[in-house]
Amino acid sequence: MTAPSRTARPGAVPPVPAPPESLPGDRADRRPAGDAPAPPVLSLRGVRVTDRTGGRDVVHGVTFALAPGRTVGIVGESGSGKTLTCRAVLGILPEGFEVGGGTIEIEGTDIATLTPARWTALRGAVISAVFQDPASYLDPSVTVGAQIAEVVRVKLGLKRRAARRRAVELLDAVRLRDPELVGGQYPYELSGGMLQRVLIAAAIAAGPRVLIADEATTALDVTVQAEILDLLADLRERTGLALVVVSHDLAVVAQLCDEVLVMRHGEVVEQGPADAVLRDPRHEYTRLLVTEHERYGLEKVLTPEPSKETP
Amino acid sequence: MRRHTLSRVLAVAGRSVAVFVPVFVVATFVTFALRSLSGLSPARIQLGEEATPEAIARVEAQWGLDRPFLAQYWDWFTGVLHGQLGTSWTNGADISTLIGLGLGVSLSVAALALVIGVTLGFALGTLAALRRTTWVDRAVTGLVTVVSVMPAFVVGIVLVSVFAVGSGLFPSGGYVPAAQGVGPWLAHITLPALALSLDVVADVARQLRGSLVAAYRENYVTGAVVRGLSPRRIFFAHVLRNGLGPTLATLGLKFPALVGASVVTEWIFGLQGFGRFANDSAQAGDVPAVQGVLVVSVALVVSFNLIVNLVLARVTPAAQRGV
Amino acid sequence: MVRRVLSLTSGRVAMTVLLLVALLAALGPLLAPQDPLATSDDVLAGISGGHWLGTDNLGRDELSRLLAGSRVSVLGALEVALTALVVGAVPGILSVYLGRAFEWVTLRLADTLVALPFLLFAVAVIALLGNGLTQAMLVTGVLVAPLFYRVARAATLTVARSPYVEAAVIAGAPVGWIVRRHVRSKVLPPVAVAFAQTVGTGFVIVSSLTFLGIGVQPPEPTWGGLLASDLGYLGQKPWAPVAPALLIMVTVWAGNLLADAIRDVSGEAGRALLRSRGARRRPGTTGPDPAPAPSGGVR
Repeated sequence: MTAPSRTARPGAVPPVPAPPESLPGDRADRRPAGDAPAPPVLSLRGVRVTDRTGGRDVVHGVTFALAPGRTVGIVGESGSGKTLTCRAVLGILPEGFEVGGGTIEIEGTDIATLTPARWTALRGAVISAVFQDPASYLDPSVTVGAQIAEVVRVKLGLKRRAARRRAVELLDAVRLRDPELVGGQYPYELSGGMLQRVLIAAAIAAGPRVLIADEATTALDVTVQAEILDLLADLRERTGLALVVVSHDLAVVAQLCDEVLVMRHGEVVEQGPADAVLRDPRHEYTRLLVTEHERYGLEKVLTPEPSKETP
Repeated sequence: MRRHTLSRVLAVAGRSVAVFVPVFVVATFVTFALRSLSGLSPARIQLGEEATPEAIARVEAQWGLDRPFLAQYWDWFTGVLHGQLGTSWTNGADISTLIGLGLGVSLSVAALALVIGVTLGFALGTLAALRRTTWVDRAVTGLVTVVSVMPAFVVGIVLVSVFAVGSGLFPSGGYVPAAQGVGPWLAHITLPALALSLDVVADVARQLRGSLVAAYRENYVTGAVVRGLSPRRIFFAHVLRNGLGPTLATLGLKFPALVGASVVTEWIFGLQGFGRFANDSAQAGDVPAVQGVLVVSVALVVSFNLIVNLVLARVTPAAQRGV
Repeated sequence: MVRRVLSLTSGRVAMTVLLLVALLAALGPLLAPQDPLATSDDVLAGISGGHWLGTDNLGRDELSRLLAGSRVSVLGALEVALTALVVGAVPGILSVYLGRAFEWVTLRLADTLVALPFLLFAVAVIALLGNGLTQAMLVTGVLVAPLFYRVARAATLTVARSPYVEAAVIAGAPVGWIVRRHVRSKVLPPVAVAFAQTVGTGFVIVSSLTFLGIGVQPPEPTWGGLLASDLGYLGQKPWAPVAPALLIMVTVWAGNLLADAIRDVSGEAGRALLRSRGARRRPGTTGPDPAPAPSGGVR
């Protein structure tokens, strides 16, 4: 059950993990076609994030490759560096932070070579993201439909009317009831779960190939959380979207991910196929996470029991 | 979606009116009470100090001043609602007409002052916000600080001495209606408008810089970046829109001061406007004229704020729901 | 708070300027080298040893008039600010505690006063109610009071609705204690900011009114009056308004600077700045207020 790529040693740069398709009993078995290892849409090699003011690394070498239709999960407590890693990938590190080493490639392009204009072109169209507290990531003064239509218009060049139609379709695609009505409402008029769906709709409006979900379900209540995760899984199946799911919650990662990275204090302490890491954790910290998770009995159904793998 | 927006705007308009009606009533009441408090009477103006008590009583009865206070107020208030501000104690002329004559001058100056103030303030505030924490920002902030402590009448005097008396580029006073040529009209109102506008420039620039900088820190900017919108688009469509709200509100609060300052600037520039009329009537003890001026000024402020509220409701609907 | 304001350079500069102006007001008439009312044939003279700032159209010494006029401006500005403070801040704080009716009425009154162009009203009221600068300043103070009302009310609201005050109330702390403990730390700073600003505004208003000749009898020197008489003779002496204008502007600027300094030391940013300078502070004056211990109620 131990994948060759699995590493418990944080310091050493691990080899790019083999596509998890090779694992028996993996979800990929249920996926039609696409069996040949597709080139990764996103790959990180030994990525370090440096705090320029302090002159020290806050993320010490993250490595993974993400193929279309696959999902990588990053687990860790707050301050473990998972969000900074995502921001590095999106090119939106906060002021004072920079990528201090390693390479990040999106569709084979090293992001270090990107001009601001090319970054703008890439974001939304190739890589996009959703976050915790969705209300704050939407302009409070513009209706949500108009914000989605804006992305469609700017990124895909649709005319105003067509863009508005497309926005309603997208709201429908994220399973919002009465998308017409929702589209005409302002963020403050919608609930947290609805807003996260809207944010997802805006994020996928220009048809990106990678979607980063940074604690996207954290503040939502349990049933809504499950629905959002379901939606993400569905989008992945239908469009071949590759997902990076970041969470402090093991259940979220367990439900969605093929590969898992466990981070602590900026280090990847454990990395490997989700099944293996969660069922047979090697690192002390991962074990702690898993046992705590079991002790408090959160979403037993979602923990990676083998029976769950074959519905 | 359309219908939704319309009903929202109507709701804001309704709420604003609900706030401003009591404001208007209270303000007119205070204004009207001025006469009783002042103890002034048309009899003194018309008959002089030597008048007999009988003569005074006769004149006051002519003006209806012997009737109960509330009845007088009611008559006057209904008149105000019909645009009738009464007649002047000093010359018996219709006050509405007199104010109408001056209002053209004052509104020309105030409008130009607003245009100058908003344009310059906008440019400076935006520049400082986009170049925040650089020397440009510091220079703009310093300039704004200097501008903000210059009272309109001091600026007015400086402008007169430099541009009118010193160089003769502009006329030092007087007014020419726009009907007699836009050039002369602009030449006559430019200096007073400039004097009035500096206060607006400072306030708009400061407020806009602050709210733009605050808006840039908001998550929705990150959201827009991640969706692949260009910096230019993010600024115009999202940051500016949200930064505009507080600035517009500031403008609404600034307007009364602008109207008030006309008293001083019109005196400096020799304009026969609304503020000058107020000053002259007040000095002459012409109570109905002063009341008329005050009512008109309150009406101006109230309608300006109504417009500001409506615009605000369109620009930043979220911020308005708590009002 | 005064000590913390003085630890900032801007605070020290502002306080120094305001102190100097106050000193000018107290001693100005004594410092005047000549009788500010004495006319001479030396009309509209330039700068000379006898007349440091020259003379006006009646040959009166400008410097003497400037010094003698400072008292009116300073007293006037203080009257405006103090009136506004009392008329505005007190109902502002009370509006949170005295029930809905009081709240509604005071809110509407504040809305009304804000809608009145105060210079226009000041001119009207003073001319009609008989003059005297004191009345003028009282009226103006009432007209600018809504600023204090809003500031005090907003600060009191945040205090009254904050969890730590609720905790104190539940713990049985007497209201007087809560008010002393929290109103001092949360309501006083914004009101002080408003006060400093209003002193600046007061100077502008006094100067504007005296400029129009309202509230003072002609021969009496005032800063605004000086400007007004200089205005008539710009052709002969274009730099005459410089001294009074500069004096007014510097004073207003000092008021604003002081307001900013108070804001800085009472806000989080100011605290961080102080901390980085290693300024010594009494414990408990910075950072989030510790929730009052239940024992507080016993005191």
